[in-house]
Amino acid sequence: MTTEEQLAVPLLEAQDLAVKYPNGELALHDMTFSIDAPSFTAIIGPNGSGKSTLIKTILGLMKPVHGFVRVLGHDSVKDSKTIQRLIRYVPQRDHIELTVPMRVKDIVLMGRLMKKPPPRFVSGKDREVGKSALKRVDMIDLWDRPFPELSGGQRQRVLVARALAGEGQILVLDEPLAGTDAESQKMIVEALGEYQRDFDVSIIMVTHDLNPIHVFVKHVLLLRNTLVGIGTPCDVMDPELIKRVYGPAAEVVEYAGHRYCITPDSGVDRHD
Amino acid sequence: MIDLLQLIFGTPFIVRALIAAILIAMIASTSGTFLVFRGLSFMASGVAHAALGGAALGFFLQETGFFPWFDPVLGAVLFAVLVAVMTGYAGESGIAQKMEVAVGVSFALSMSLAVFLMYYIPSDKVLVLWGYLVGDILLLTNQDVVLLVITTTLVVAVILMLNKEFVYVSVDYEGAIAHGMNARAYHYVMLVVSAIAIALATKAVGAILVYAILVAPAAASNELVKSVTGVMVAVFSIALFAQVIGIMISFAIAVSPSAIAGLIAAFSYVVALQVRRIRERARDQKLFEADKEETIPATFEGVVVPDDHSGHNH
Repeated sequence: MTTEEQLAVPLLEAQDLAVKYPNGELALHDMTFSIDAPSFTAIIGPNGSGKSTLIKTILGLMKPVHGFVRVLGHDSVKDSKTIQRLIRYVPQRDHIELTVPMRVKDIVLMGRLMKKPPPRFVSGKDREVGKSALKRVDMIDLWDRPFPELSGGQRQRVLVARALAGEGQILVLDEPLAGTDAESQKMIVEALGEYQRDFDVSIIMVTHDLNPIHVFVKHVLLLRNTLVGIGTPCDVMDPELIKRVYGPAAEVVEYAGHRYCITPDSGVDRHD
Repeated sequence: MIDLLQLIFGTPFIVRALIAAILIAMIASTSGTFLVFRGLSFMASGVAHAALGGAALGFFLQETGFFPWFDPVLGAVLFAVLVAVMTGYAGESGIAQKMEVAVGVSFALSMSLAVFLMYYIPSDKVLVLWGYLVGDILLLTNQDVVLLVITTTLVVAVILMLNKEFVYVSVDYEGAIAHGMNARAYHYVMLVVSAIAIALATKAVGAILVYAILVAPAAASNELVKSVTGVMVAVFSIALFAQVIGIMISFAIAVSPSAIAGLIAAFSYVVALQVRRIRERARDQKLFEADKEETIPATFEGVVVPDDHSGHNH
């Protein structure tokens, strides 16, 4: 594939996509959309709106019951192996098991070693890239520290560094800002924004709260079990649309030329 | 001293017991450690009891003449693997709680089966069957030791070869799949290999010793040691120590070496919890003092120290 052809292939392309939860309930239905690459895409919506399901479908962890989704032209079911080579994934923080005595360096190196064939030995380059990724989120001093002993925000920064240390054109992050302190949030958002600019990768991020990443985001998918809105952050911040998704308590405010959304949901999210 | 050593190494049953103690400690430091990492320490006891049920079935089939070739050891291994596969299937979603339920159910199933079949097995075989539960490390035959050597070699080789894979699958199952690792295969390999080792260890030394030695030292080490290799070494040391002390005490007083080893192993976990608590308290104290030291020079450099009203400026 030449570079020009690659540019023409959308980052994500879904047609009539429907996905069920393992319990048989419909999580997503009638999703049809297309997003150009490269992009910083945010997937937003209230709890239980199918945000994580969409990501898991893209990664090939869940299968559509109807329709399809393609990632850079590769079908999520048929070409899942190809997609897995392109992807670097950060799951929700509480999906990381803390019973294993991992150090910060072990977690970051995991980002590189998971994609290596066995026996997955650590090379000098792996270490170097891992260290520079930790520098981007200001965690390099904790290189040797036990991962389970870090605070929630610090753990999340290390997980983001794991993705930054890896290889692959697409970074997928599930709720990397949920339940983190303001400092960590700022650090993560800026590290991702800068990384995307420097390395020309695409980022797909599930989030409760669009506001912290507003200025970096190019495309927004607003979900409520189906696609409710798509566009730039300010397009999606339409008072009508937001109230329809988040309920009447949601407000849209304008600040410094950007539209921000205030919901009881995001409010809780940002202050814990 | 030399006389004592000569006595020990000149007595075949003591030599067999010591070799078995080393082998079981190796199984504990590999299988036991990874089961605890995976949040599955309960599986060690589930599999050990399943082995009992499988052996009961073996004796039953042999005695009734249905399948004279069906060795009780074969039954034990088959049942153990079955439990591992059921547990693995329940855990494919990556949720440890579901696996605990699967272990619990198969535990109940195989124990019930064992008790049920016991009525149809001649009483001399029932005694052998009880050996699967309370076994005695001092009564091992050469065949037991050979079986144990083979299974230990298998489990240690597999875990040394695939330890990174097992760690990654334990830490981040979803992420491992998303990055193209065959997490499902590693998940099953780990459970099945551990199950085979546990079944044969159960045959040799009994279910009670197996799960005392497989679970408690790993849980204790995981509280205190901060690296995967470190935990494995610590588990080996605690497990070997507990068993050797058990064997030694059994010569001095009339007591089962398994019981002493089990008690020491369980005690190691209690001690580990205490040490951890003391350590945490010391760390908090240090942090508190460091905080104080940091604030004081800050005032000298003219940095404004937040006063009582900071945080109230709404």
